Amino acid sequence: MKKRKVLAIVMVVMMFAGLTACGKNTTTNSTATPTPTVAAATDTATATPEPTKEAEATATQAPAALETVELTMWGAEEDQTMLAEMVEAFKIAYADKANFVINLGVESESTAKDTVLTDIEAAADVFAFADDQLNELVNAGALQAVQIDTDAIIAANGGSEAGSVKAATSDGTLYAYPMTADNGYFMFYNKEYFTADDVMSLDKMMEVAANAGKQITMQFDSGWYLYSFFQGAGLSLQLQTDGTNLCDWNSATNAIKGVDVAQAMLDIAANPGFVSLGDAAFVTGVQDGSIIAGVNGTWNANVAAESWGDNYAATKLPTYTVAGQQVQMSSFAGYKLVGVNAYSDNVGWAMYLAEWITNYDNQVKRFETRGLGPSNVEAGASASVQASPAIAALAQQSLYATVQRVGGNYWSPTETFGAIMAAGNTDGTDLQTLLDNMVAGITAPVQ
Amino acid sequence: MNKKLIALRDGFLRPGKSFIEGDIFVKLSALFMGAGYFRRKQFIKGLLITIFQLVVIFFAYTVAVPYLSKITTLGTVQRESVFNFETMKNEENDYDHSFKILLYGIICIVILTAAVIIYFTNLVRVRNLQLLAEKGKHINNIIEDIRAYKNDKFHMTLLFFPILGILLFTIIPLLVMISVAFTNYDQNHMPPTSLFTWVGVENFKNMFTNSVTISFGYAFKKVLGWTLVWAFFATFTNYIGGILLAMFINNRKTKFQKVWRMLFVVAIAVPQFVSLLLVRNFFADTGIVNTICSNIGLTHILQNIGLVSENITYIPFLTNPGWAKFMIILINMWVGIPYLMLIATGVLMNIPMDIRESARIDGANGFQEFTRITMPYMLFVTGPFLVTQFVGNINNFNVVYLLTQDVYVTLDQALANSRAKEIDLLISWLFRLTNEYYNYKMASVIGIMVFIICAIFTLIAFNSMIRGNKEENFQV
Repeated sequence: MKKRKVLAIVMVVMMFAGLTACGKNTTTNSTATPTPTVAAATDTATATPEPTKEAEATATQAPAALETVELTMWGAEEDQTMLAEMVEAFKIAYADKANFVINLGVESESTAKDTVLTDIEAAADVFAFADDQLNELVNAGALQAVQIDTDAIIAANGGSEAGSVKAATSDGTLYAYPMTADNGYFMFYNKEYFTADDVMSLDKMMEVAANAGKQITMQFDSGWYLYSFFQGAGLSLQLQTDGTNLCDWNSATNAIKGVDVAQAMLDIAANPGFVSLGDAAFVTGVQDGSIIAGVNGTWNANVAAESWGDNYAATKLPTYTVAGQQVQMSSFAGYKLVGVNAYSDNVGWAMYLAEWITNYDNQVKRFETRGLGPSNVEAGASASVQASPAIAALAQQSLYATVQRVGGNYWSPTETFGAIMAAGNTDGTDLQTLLDNMVAGITAPVQ
Repeated sequence: MNKKLIALRDGFLRPGKSFIEGDIFVKLSALFMGAGYFRRKQFIKGLLITIFQLVVIFFAYTVAVPYLSKITTLGTVQRESVFNFETMKNEENDYDHSFKILLYGIICIVILTAAVIIYFTNLVRVRNLQLLAEKGKHINNIIEDIRAYKNDKFHMTLLFFPILGILLFTIIPLLVMISVAFTNYDQNHMPPTSLFTWVGVENFKNMFTNSVTISFGYAFKKVLGWTLVWAFFATFTNYIGGILLAMFINNRKTKFQKVWRMLFVVAIAVPQFVSLLLVRNFFADTGIVNTICSNIGLTHILQNIGLVSENITYIPFLTNPGWAKFMIILINMWVGIPYLMLIATGVLMNIPMDIRESARIDGANGFQEFTRITMPYMLFVTGPFLVTQFVGNINNFNVVYLLTQDVYVTLDQALANSRAKEIDLLISWLFRLTNEYYNYKMASVIGIMVFIICAIFTLIAFNSMIRGNKEENFQV
C-alpha cells in the first residue's frame, strides 16, 4: 500500500519535471561540440560534411591578463567552414588584445530577421542578413550603428552613394557592414536560342521562345519581381519614416499610367512564349529544357550553368512594351550585410568581428570559395570577379536597380496582384480597381 | 438561493467570522500569521508560516511593487544606449521592457492572489485550532501533520504538482496572451527597444471592421467559414472512412488481413511532416501528378467539362481555391484514415456478438446491421473522441500549412490586405500574422476567437451527445 503511494508521488513529480523541462528549454547553445577540424579549402563548402550545428572554437593561447570575450556569430549553412577559417584568422590578428571564444551558428541570411526579432536579447552578436530586412531590424532597434572605422568601411564599398552603402544605411546612419553585392536579379538565357541582340527586348525574347516551342519566365506573383514593371515605367514606391509605404502605382496622371503597366503585364502573361514560375519551378524548367531564359538571381547561377553548359549567359533585364513604348525594366538591387546586435554584451568586439569578415581579404576569399560577388569595390574590380557572367550581369543591371526600401505591407497585396495578372485577370475586374485595391493594401497603416 | 451559493457565501464569510469569534491569538494571526500556531505549541508550523509571510512581504516590495506600479502603462522609459569607446560596450539607461512588465506583472498578481487566499484560510485554520484546544481534543504535531498528507489528505499531495504545472504552464501564459489582445503589441511596438501599451478593445473593433485598408472583418468571416467547413469534413470523412476500412479489413472474407492492416499503418509510420511536403511537390503545378494527368489526357477532359480553366495547361491542385480545398480534405483523408481504422478495429471487435446474431436471426441484412448496430455503437463509444477530433481539426495546422505554404497565392485582394488566404484556417492565419508580420495583437484576438469557438462546440457537443448515462439506449 505504502509502496504504491510512493510510486504515485514519484510519477507525479516526474510528470512535473517533464513539464519544467519543456518550459525551460529556451537556450539553444547549451551543447558545446568539439572543435571541428577545419579542412583545407580544397573542397567546395557544400561537399564538406559539416553536421555540427555550432562549433566552439578553441581560444587562442594568450597571457592570462587579457579579458575573455565571448561572441556568437550566425551565418549561412554553406558558409560555416569558411567562416570558421575567418574566425581563426581574426583571433590571431587580435591575439594581443583579448582572448576570444567565438561560437558559430547556422542561420540563413534570408530568415535572420525573423529569428533575431523573435528574441533580440538571445540573438547572436554578429549575424548576416539580406538588405531588405535592414529597415525592420533598425525599427526594432536590433542593429548597432557602425561606430568603429565607419568612414573607411564606406570608402571601401564605394562611398556613401554606392548601392551597398545605401542598402546598409537608414536615416543617414550606417547600420551594417556590406558583405556581398549579388543578391539582386537579372536575366539568364541560353545562347543556343538567343543572340545578344534578342535579349535586349522582352517581346523579341518571347517571340523566339514561342517559335522554338519553349518559354521564358519571370515570377509575377512576387512583389520582389513585380517592382520591375512599375518602377521601370516611372511610377514610384517609397518608404516613409513611420513604416508605411507611399505608392502611386494606380496613378492615372503619370506619363505611363498604372493601367498601362497592368495591361502590359496581362499581354506578357498571355504570350505563349512566357510563363510565370516560382523559384523551384524555374530550376525544374531549366533542367528539363522547357525554360530557355528567365529572370532570377545568382543563387540559381549554378543550375543554369550546369544545364546550359557553354550556352549559359546572363545579362541585364530587357525592355518591355508598355503604352506603345519600350521601357527598360528596373529591379531591386540586393545585398547581403553583416549586422551587430545592439544588445550584445561585447558590442565593440562584435563590430571588429563584423568588420573583419567583410574586409577586402575576406570578400576575396568569399568569392573564391563560394562564388559570392563582393561589395568591396577593389575586390569587385578584380578580373576573376568580372569574368563571372552572373556578377557581370548584375553590374549591368545595377544602372537600373534601386535599393530595396519598402514597408512590410508591400508584399502581400503585390503578390496577389501579380497572381491575378499571371492568371490573366480571369473574372475581368476593372484594372484600375485592381490597382486601387493593391495600392490601398500597400499604403495601409501598420495595424 | 440554492445550496451551492449559500456554501460559497459562507466560504467567503468564514475568515471574517473566524476573526471576530476567535480569541486574541486568532486576532493576532491577522497581523502575524504564525501567532495562532505558536499559542497551540505548533512551533515548526508557526515558524514556517512566519517565514512564508516574510518572503511574501519581501517579494511584494522588491518585485511586485516595481512591476505592478508600471502595469497600467506597461512602461514609459524607452531604451537609449551610447557606445563607450573606452570599454567597447554599450551604456544603457534603465529602460522599461513592456513585455516583461506584462509577464511579470501577471505572475505577481497570480502569486499575490495565492498569498491572499492562504492568508484568509490561515485565519480559519487557527480558529479551528482554538476550537480543538477548547474542546480538549488532540492537536497534531508536525510529524502527524505530514503523515496526514500521506493518508487522509493524499489526494491533495497528488494534485499539488499537476495543479502547479497547470498554473505555471497553462493559466499564466493564457492570461498573458489574452492581455496582449488589449495592447498594441505589433511590429511598430516591439520590445525591448519600443514600448507597447493598453489600447482597450481597439483590436476587437478592427477584427470586425471591413474597410479597404482594414479588411480583417471580411477575412475573418471567410476564414472562419472555411475553418468550420474543413473541421466538419476532415472529421467525418476520416471517421466514416476509418470505420468502413476497418470493416472491410475485418470482414471474414478478406484474405491477408494483417498485410492490409500493416500497409495502412505504414502510412502512419512516415512522419506527417515529410509525407505532406512530398505530396505538395507531387501536386505542384509542374509536379509529377500534373505531368501524368496531362499525358493521359485528364487535364484536357477536365478543361472540357469546365473544372479547369481554359488558359492554363495544368490542373491547379494546390493553387486554385476550390481545387486546393478539395485536395486538402482528400489528402487529409489519406493521412488520417489509417488512425481511425486502428481505433475502429478495436471498437468493432467489442460489439457484443449476441446483438448481431439476434439481428441476423430477425432477418436484418448487412446494411441494416451497419446502420442499426455498428454505427450507433461506434457513435456511442467514440462520441467524446469525435468532439475532440472536431476541435482538434479546427486547430489542425499541419495539413493546411504544409500543403500550401509558398505555393498558394490568394487572388482575393481584400484577403491579401489582411494577410489571409482562402485556404487558411484561423490557426494558420494566426501563425502567419505572428511569424511573418509580428502582429501579435491581432493574432491574440484571433486566438481568443478560436478559444471561444472551440469552447462553444465542446460544450454543446458534450452536453447533447454524451450527457448522462446512455449506456442502455445506444441502439436507438
